[in-house]
Amino acid sequence: MSERSQVLDATGPAMSGQDQSGDGGPNMRMIDWIWTVRGSLALPAGQTADEAFDRLEPFFQTHGTRFDRADDTLTFTKKDQLAQDRMSIYDHGILQVERGEAGGVLRYRMVSRALLFCFLAPLLFVAFGQMIVGIGVLEGPPTAAEKKLQEEKKKAEEKKVRTLHPIDQFLGAPAPEKPKKDEKSKAKKDEDKKNNKQSPTAAYVFAVLFAILYGVGRVLEDRLIKIRFRRNLMG
Amino acid sequence: MNGVRVGNRVIGAQSPVTIGWENIPRVEGGPVKQFVFTYFQPAVLFAMIAFWYYAPNSIAKASTAIGIGIAFRVLLLALEWVNPRFESWQLTWKECVTDLFYVGLGYTILNMVDNYIGSDVIIESAITTFDWGKLAWFTGLPLLVQAFLILFIFDFGQYWMHRGMHNWYPLWLTHSVHHYITQLNINKGAVGNPVELFLIGIGIGGFFDFLPRAALLAGAIGMSIGVYQHINVRFNTPRWWRYLFNTTEHHSLHHSQDFEATRSNYASNFIFIDRMFGTCVDGEAELLGMEGGRRMSIREQMTYPFTEGWKTMKERFGKADGAGELFGETQPVRAE
Repeated sequence: MSERSQVLDATGPAMSGQDQSGDGGPNMRMIDWIWTVRGSLALPAGQTADEAFDRLEPFFQTHGTRFDRADDTLTFTKKDQLAQDRMSIYDHGILQVERGEAGGVLRYRMVSRALLFCFLAPLLFVAFGQMIVGIGVLEGPPTAAEKKLQEEKKKAEEKKVRTLHPIDQFLGAPAPEKPKKDEKSKAKKDEDKKNNKQSPTAAYVFAVLFAILYGVGRVLEDRLIKIRFRRNLMG
Repeated sequence: MNGVRVGNRVIGAQSPVTIGWENIPRVEGGPVKQFVFTYFQPAVLFAMIAFWYYAPNSIAKASTAIGIGIAFRVLLLALEWVNPRFESWQLTWKECVTDLFYVGLGYTILNMVDNYIGSDVIIESAITTFDWGKLAWFTGLPLLVQAFLILFIFDFGQYWMHRGMHNWYPLWLTHSVHHYITQLNINKGAVGNPVELFLIGIGIGGFFDFLPRAALLAGAIGMSIGVYQHINVRFNTPRWWRYLFNTTEHHSLHHSQDFEATRSNYASNFIFIDRMFGTCVDGEAELLGMEGGRRMSIREQMTYPFTEGWKTMKERFGKADGAGELFGETQPVRAE
C-alpha cells in the first residue's frame, strides 16, 4: 500500500492543476513522459464517477491486479500481468473523475516499466556494441605464434580437394570453388578475423530497432488505452 | 478433468489439451486460404532446398542466409496476424519487445560468449591441441545427405539435452524459465535464461567437416522446419510432415500447463526422434505456461534459476535427511 499511497500523493496535485510541475519534483514532469501515460476523456452526460468506474472495472479484474476505489478515485497496481491483459504494459496508476461545468472528465496517469525498459534498451545494446569493440581492443592483434597457426590452417584448407558427389554433379549443383580475390569486404573480414575482432554491428542494429519500437509503443499504447477506456465508458 | 490415456500416460488431467490429429481444428476460410495454409510449409521447404542447392557460389553465402532468415520471419509475423491459431496468443507490443530483447541477446552477448567458450571453439581447440583431423569423409557424401546429417547430429544431441533438462533438477532450473512463456509466437524460441540458451546451443558438429553448401542447406532446412515450433499460425500441416517434423501443435503440448504433456516432444526439428524413444504425443494445447499461466518478467527470467536454486539448497541442506536428494529427480514446481 505504501507504493500506492505515493502514487496518490504525487499525482493528486498534478491532476487538479495546482502543481503542473508534476510528480515528486519540479523537473520530473520533463522526463516522466518516457514511462508515464497520461490522458483525459469526457464522460457521457450524466455519468457519475461510480458508474464510470463500474464500466472500467473489467480492466482491473484480471490476474495480478489489485485496485482500490474511493469516491472519485481509482488506484491500481499490477504484477506479472498476463500477456493478453489489455493493460499489460502498466504497473500502477491512478484514475480520477473531476466534475466541471461541462460535465465529468476522467483523467488518468499510469506508469509503465515496459516503456522505460524499451526506452533504455537502445542504450543497453549500444553498451553491448562498445563492449564487443572494447574486448577486441583489449585482446589486441594476434601473436606471431597465433598468426603462424592461422596461416597453417589456411594452407591446409586450400589443400583440401573439394569435389561434389556424382549424384550432385549429375543434378547440376555448382561445384565448390575458392572465393574470388576481388571481394573487398571479404578482405576486411579476413583482416578483422586475424585481429580477433568481432563485429558490433548486430548490437547497433538492435539499438536502432528498440528505439523505433519505443516510439511505436509510446504512441500506440497511449492511443489504444484511450480507445479502450472510451469504448467501455460509452458502451 | 480426466485426461486422455496415451500409452502408459494420462495427458491433460491438469489442464485442457487436444490429443490426436483428427481432433485438431482445420484452417477456416475460402479455397485460396485453405490452399495457402495447406501447402505453405512444404512449398517453402522445397523452395529453400532448390535455392540453396542450385544458387551460384557468389550468392550461396552466410549473408544471404541471414537476409532470407530475417525476411522469412517478417513474413511469418504477418501470417500470425492473418491466420492466428489462437486469438489468446496474439502478439502484443510488450510481447514483441520481450521476444526481440532475447533475440538481440542471442545476436550479441551470447554470440560473443559462444566465440570464447562455445562447443565449436572447444572442439576446434581440442582438434588443434591433439592434432586430430576433422572427420572429413562426410564431404564426399551427396549434399542433401550431408545437410541431413548436420541437422540430425545436432537435433539428436539437442533431444537428449532437452530431455535432460526436464529430468535433472540443475538443468531444469535453467530451462524452467522458457516454460513460463504463456503463448507461442515466432520469436518465443529465443526466450529463456541465458545459461539455458548457451547450453541448448552445445553440439558436436565441430568434429565433422562438411561442404559449405551443405551447411547452408542444413541451415535453410532447419529454419524451414524449426521455425514452426513457436508460431501462432493455423496450418493444415500434411500428414507426412507432422509424422517427421516437429510442429507448433507438438510444441504447444510441450508448453502446456499439464505436467505430463510437458514431458513429451523434446526434439527441435525431427519429431521422429521422439517417436523413436517413445516421447512423442500428437496433439495441441492453448493454455500454456507454469503456475497456472503466470507471466514472468524479464528481471525474474534472468535471476530465477539462481534464486530458485539457492532456495532449494537452503531447504535441502537445512534438513540433514534430505541433503542427498538435491541432485536427484526433484522438481521445484509442478510442471517439470
